[in-house]
Amino acid sequence: MRTLSPLCAALLLVPALALADTRVDERHNVAAGGRIELSNVAGKVTVRGWDRNDVQLTGTLSDGLQLRQEKSANRVRWEIEYPRRSNNGGATLTLNVPRSVELLLSTVSADQDISGVDVRRLQADTVSGNLAAAGRSGDSVLNTVSGNVTARLQTPRLDVNTVSGRIEAGGGVSGEIGAQTVSGRVGVDAGRIQRLVVETVSGGIDLSASALAPGGRINVESVSASVSLRLPRTVSAQLSVNSFSGSINSDAGKVERPRYGPGSSLDARLGSGDGDIRVQSHSGSVQVRLDR
Amino acid sequence: MSTHDPDHDLLARLHALPVERSAPADGWERLSARLPPREPGAAQVPLDKVVTLPLRTRRRWWLPVGAALAASLALYAVAPWRHAADTLSAPPSGLQLQADAMTEQYRQAVASLPDGTAPEWQPALHELDRSAEQIRAAMAQDPRAPHLLGQLKRTYALRLELTRQAAQAASGLTT
Repeated sequence: MRTLSPLCAALLLVPALALADTRVDERHNVAAGGRIELSNVAGKVTVRGWDRNDVQLTGTLSDGLQLRQEKSANRVRWEIEYPRRSNNGGATLTLNVPRSVELLLSTVSADQDISGVDVRRLQADTVSGNLAAAGRSGDSVLNTVSGNVTARLQTPRLDVNTVSGRIEAGGGVSGEIGAQTVSGRVGVDAGRIQRLVVETVSGGIDLSASALAPGGRINVESVSASVSLRLPRTVSAQLSVNSFSGSINSDAGKVERPRYGPGSSLDARLGSGDGDIRVQSHSGSVQVRLDR
Repeated sequence: MSTHDPDHDLLARLHALPVERSAPADGWERLSARLPPREPGAAQVPLDKVVTLPLRTRRRWWLPVGAALAASLALYAVAPWRHAADTLSAPPSGLQLQADAMTEQYRQAVASLPDGTAPEWQPALHELDRSAEQIRAAMAQDPRAPHLLGQLKRTYALRLELTRQAAQAASGLTT
């Protein structure tokens, strides 16, 4: 009996050891302008910017997961490898990144929480995970399938794509902005716009900009979604709105309807008519306000 | 016994015929004199400018019928008060034909991809299918809206790409 007790205790420890998480703590010096890549499937990825020249990856991997890495002077790539047909709970990772790097993040169901970064380029892809990005980026591409995107980025170029995920962009986004979704809602609160292109099928669109650059262009297309556009009264552009069966409500211009049949349109010159604003919706209502 | 050969005479007369014969200069005048008089009200036109076939004019019963049909078709094509339901029975527009071709190509492309879909992709794939149907329905209502064709193209391209990714994920790991 006395000899069996330690054996039983040892056997009881086996499953506990088998389920133990693996700690990760990796560092690597990356030259300015270098590339940092992180790929994970499930769990969570947190990214923070810091004032150091090296990049650090910390966190825990569930049992069975392994960290695979490729390093060079200008590049580091970390990928979490999953056993076939299982994710075993995923990985919870924190990535601290220096300034002026190119940052490429890819997950499947893992959320991505990015803030405090100041990078040359940011590209974040996920399938069902939510994506939140804040900070500064010279060029930003954010893609999800069903996950929501919240971008509070100071960036001159932002491109966001989802299928059903909601898109919210603000916090200093300006310049060239593209937002494409199928059924997700789109909300953009932008600064000075050079180019704004928004496309949805059924996702509602709510856009606002503080200014339109000379020769700037806004193009909004939807099938069934309503569109709301707010611009300053001083905006200079040629405004064109078309809807097959939706209503048009605008602070400028006069809505024209054919004597017979569906459809309505509006063409108006705002200010000196420098830029171009074009809104098309098949059945959604369109509202243009010049009160920003 | 006579030596006269009738076949020889016939051949000789045939050879004597001129190779070409020109129509007589007053041929039309002589023919015209034999024709019945024109119907009252028929326009008098110079004979040297228009060739008329007056015997057939009374048989052109289909002209007014054809003109009426053409006029009604033209009216239908440009009439602004056509309802959306009417367009359903109208010939497909160029955009609709393009959409049909695109849909067929898309179906063939999807059928060529391997089966299997990872669960993360499934809701999005259904959403894209619903959206494609919604766009096609909108095109049926407004067959002259090029932006709808662009939306359909974008939706199909996205559906294809996600189908490919979903199949890859299903063949690898699942989450």
